[in-house]
Amino acid sequence: MGAPRTTNTEIPLPPRPRPGVNRIAAWSALVVLLTAAIWSVAALEINVASMVRSLDNAANFFSRMFPLDFPPLGELLVMTGQTLAIVIVATVLAVVLSLPVSIFAAANTTSGPVMRGVARTIIVVCRAVPDLIFAIVLFRIFGLGAFPGILALGLHSIGMIGKLYADAIEQMDGGPAEAVRSAGGTRVQWITSTVIPQVMPQLIATALHRFDINLRTSVLLGYVGLGGLGLELANALRTMQYQRGIALALIILLLCIAVEMLSGVIRATLLGRVSTDRSGLLGFIDRIAAGWVTAPRGGSEPQRTRHGTMRIAPQWDSERIRRFAGVALTIAVVALATVYADMDFSTLFDDLLALPQVLGMFLPPSPQDLLDVLVEAMLVTIQIGLAATLLGLVLAVPIGIFAARNVAPSVGVANLFRTIIVIIRGLPELILAIVFIVITGLGPVPGTLALAIGSVGLLGKLIADSLEETDVRVQDAVRATGATGIQVFFAATLRQTAPQIIAHVLYQLDVNIRSATLLGIVGAGGIGFFLINASRVQEFDVVAFIIAMVIVTVLAVEAVAVWTRRVLS
Amino acid sequence: MTAAAAHKTIPELGTIRFENVTKKFGSITALDNVSVEFAANKINVLLGLSGSGKSTMLRHINGLNKPSTGDVWTLGTPVRSASPTTLRALRNNVGMIFQQFHLVESMSVLENVCTGKLGSLRGPRFGLWSYPRYVRENAMEQLARVGLADKAFQRAGTLSGGQQQRAAIARALIQRPTVLLADEPVASLDPLSSAGVIELLAQISREENLTVICSLHQVQIALEFADRIVGLNAGRVVLDRPAAGLTHNDVDGIYAPVPVDERVKIAV
Ligand SMILES: Nc1ncnc2c1ncn2[C@@H]1O[C@H](COP(=O)(O)OP(=O)(O)OP(=O)(O)O)[C@@H](O)[C@H]1O
Ligand SMILES: [Mg+2]
Repeated sequence: MGAPRTTNTEIPLPPRPRPGVNRIAAWSALVVLLTAAIWSVAALEINVASMVRSLDNAANFFSRMFPLDFPPLGELLVMTGQTLAIVIVATVLAVVLSLPVSIFAAANTTSGPVMRGVARTIIVVCRAVPDLIFAIVLFRIFGLGAFPGILALGLHSIGMIGKLYADAIEQMDGGPAEAVRSAGGTRVQWITSTVIPQVMPQLIATALHRFDINLRTSVLLGYVGLGGLGLELANALRTMQYQRGIALALIILLLCIAVEMLSGVIRATLLGRVSTDRSGLLGFIDRIAAGWVTAPRGGSEPQRTRHGTMRIAPQWDSERIRRFAGVALTIAVVALATVYADMDFSTLFDDLLALPQVLGMFLPPSPQDLLDVLVEAMLVTIQIGLAATLLGLVLAVPIGIFAARNVAPSVGVANLFRTIIVIIRGLPELILAIVFIVITGLGPVPGTLALAIGSVGLLGKLIADSLEETDVRVQDAVRATGATGIQVFFAATLRQTAPQIIAHVLYQLDVNIRSATLLGIVGAGGIGFFLINASRVQEFDVVAFIIAMVIVTVLAVEAVAVWTRRVLS
Repeated sequence: MTAAAAHKTIPELGTIRFENVTKKFGSITALDNVSVEFAANKINVLLGLSGSGKSTMLRHINGLNKPSTGDVWTLGTPVRSASPTTLRALRNNVGMIFQQFHLVESMSVLENVCTGKLGSLRGPRFGLWSYPRYVRENAMEQLARVGLADKAFQRAGTLSGGQQQRAAIARALIQRPTVLLADEPVASLDPLSSAGVIELLAQISREENLTVICSLHQVQIALEFADRIVGLNAGRVVLDRPAAGLTHNDVDGIYAPVPVDERVKIAV
C-alpha cells in the first residue's frame, strides 16, 4: 500500500466513471423498446376515442349476456372434475420430469458440463415453446384426447419448474451432501438423502404455483380441443351462446380464485413455521400418544414402547398424523385424477409408429404464399406484447405506489390497493380477452387490453414489493434535508428501485409476447389466429413455419431481456 | 467387540501417512511438500493459523481432495489413485465431523444419523422408512450414546449447536469407523458446549480405539485433549510431537506470522 494520506490536503474530485459500452447499449435498448411500445399503442389504435365508440357494443353485449345460462349442476361437476383431473396429472407429470432435469441443470448436482448443457437446453426449449404449440403438435401425433393435452401442459411446465427447481438446488447448503459423500455415499444417495429433503418445501410450493398457471392454460387449450370447462367455453362462444359462455367464464373465474387461495394456504403452511399449539382434538391425540412410550431418561437410553421394544419411529402424535394425512390425501387425489382424466393409451403404439410420417408433414417449414401476412401478424403480436406492457406499467405505477406501505398516504390506502392487486391477479387473461372481444369486436385491441390488465396485477405487486424493500434510511436522510414528500419519492425511493422495476418490466414483456401468441387463438389478433387456422386446415408446413417464427421471436426477446437485466443490475 | 478392537490395534490398519504431498488450488499452495505420519489409535490435533491448510489436510485423508503431487495413504490405501469403489469403501471406514455440523435441518435427528450408513447401503434412500430396520435401531443406539435419544424424532434444526454436533458425531459413529476426522468441531460452539463435545469425542475415541485427527483453534483444549500435536504453518508441518510435556510456548511457534509474500499467496 502507498503512504497514508493526510486528511488536510484537498481531496481531488475523482474522475466521473465512464459508463461502459454495455451500459450504454442496455440503456439504448430500453429507449428503443419504449419508443416501439409507444408506437405500438398508436399503431393498434388504442385510444380513448375508439374506447368510447365501443361503449355501444358494451351496452349491447351486457344486454345479450343476461340471464346467465349455467349448465346443469351434474354436467358442471363432470366438466370441472375433468379440468381439475387433467391439470393435476399434468402438473404431477411436469414435476416428475422436471426433477431429474433440474438435478442435471444445477451446478452443484450435475454430473458434468455436457449433461448440464443438455438439461439447460431442455429447460429453455420447453419454456420457449408455448403450451398451445405443444398441444397442436401432440394432438396431431396422438389424436385429440386428454393424454396429449396433459403431455403438452407437462412439457411446457418443465420450462418454469425445471428452472426454479435448479435455482433452489443451487441455493441449498451443500454441507449435508458433503457429509454423506465423506461417509461413502454415492451421488445418487446424497442427492436423494440430503438435496431433495432440503429443497422439498420449494419443490411443493413451485408445483402448486404451476398448478394455478396450468389451470388457466388448460382452459385456453379447450380452443384446440382439450376437454373440460375450456372446451365447453370455446364451443359456447363459437356458437355465439354468450349467456352460456359468460356463465362458464364466471365459473372458471371462481375456480381459479378458489384454487389460488387453497394453494396459497398450503404454501404458507409449508414455508412457514408449524404451530406448536396443541389444543382441542390435536392435544387430545398427543396426550394419548404420549401414553404409548416410556419417557426416556436424559436422552442416554433408547426410547422404548410400552412393550419394551426399541422405538425407531416417531409416535402417532398430531404432527405425524397431520403429515401422514397430507401425504395420503395427495396420493389419493393424484390417483383419482389419473383415473378420472381418462387417458387413452390404446393407440399409443400405432401413433408412435406413425411418428416419422407425421413429423414429415411439418417439414420443411414453409409459409407457402402467406409470407407477408405471417410476418405482419407476427409484428402485430409483438406490438400487442409491447403495448400491453406499456399500458400495464402506466396503470401499475400508481397502483403499486399506493399499495406500498412505506410510500402510501396511509396503511388503510395501502391495504385497499393491495386487495385490488390480488383481485386483478386472480382474473384469468383468457376470460378478460373474451369479455373484451365481445365488447370491442375481434382484433388486437381486446388482446392488448387483456394482457395490460394481467400485467397490472403482477407489475403492481412487484413495484409495491420493491418499494417496500427500499432502504428507509435513505428516504429519511433526504427528508432531513427538508425535501417534500414528492422529492423524497423521486430522489430516494424511485432511484433505489429503478433497476429492479426495469427488470420486472422486461420480464413482463417477455411473458406478454409469449401470451400474445396464444390469445390470438380466441380472436384477439396476431399470429395465434393464423396458427390455429393453419392447423385446422392441416397445412402443417405453415404451422411449422409459424412455430419457428414464434420460437425465434420469444428466444430473441428473452435474450434481450436477460442481457439488459444483467447489465443494469 | 473385543475382536473388532483387537484388529484395530494392528498398526498398519490405523495408519495415515502423507508422503511429500503438495496441493495447489490454482496459484495457491495449500499444502507444501507435507510428509507426516499420524499416530494410530491416538488423538492427533492439527493446529495452525486460518488458511494454514488444516481443512485441506483432513480432506485429503478421505479423498475429498486429491494431492497435486505426492500421495496419502489411509488404512493401507493410496488415496490419490483410488477408484471410486475403493474410495467409497475407504470413506466407509473414516468418519468425519464438521464445524457447521452439516445436518439436514428439516429432517429428524434419527434420519440424519441414518444417512451416515449410506456408505455401506446400496441404492438411493428417501425418508426414514427407506432405511433397513437394523440401521434405524443402530442409529437410535448411537443417539443414546451421545445423549440424544430423547431428541431422535425432532427436526435437527430445532437442536442447540452442541446437540447438533453430538448428532453429527452419532452420524459418524454409525459407520463404525476406525478413523475419525474432525474439522474444528467446536469452533461454532459456546465454551460450555465445546467442553461437552470435546469430552464426548475423547471418551468415544478411547472406547473405540479410534485414530482421531482433529483440527482446533484453542491451544488450551488441544494440550488437554491431544496425544499428539501437529502444527501447520503456510501449508508446511512445523511441529510434530507428543502432547505430553508440550507448553504453550512450544506451541506458539506454530502461529509465527507468515512472510508477507507467502501470506498473499495463501490468503487471497
Ligand atoms: N476449494 C478450494 N479452492 C481454492 N482454494 C482453496 C480451496 N480450499 C482451500 N483453499 C485455500 O487453501 C488454503 C488452505 O485452506 P484451508 O481451508 O485448508 O485452511 P484452514 O487451516 O482449514 O483454515 P481455517 O482455520 O480458516 O479453516 C487457503 O488459502 C484456502 O484459501
Ligand atoms: Mg478449515
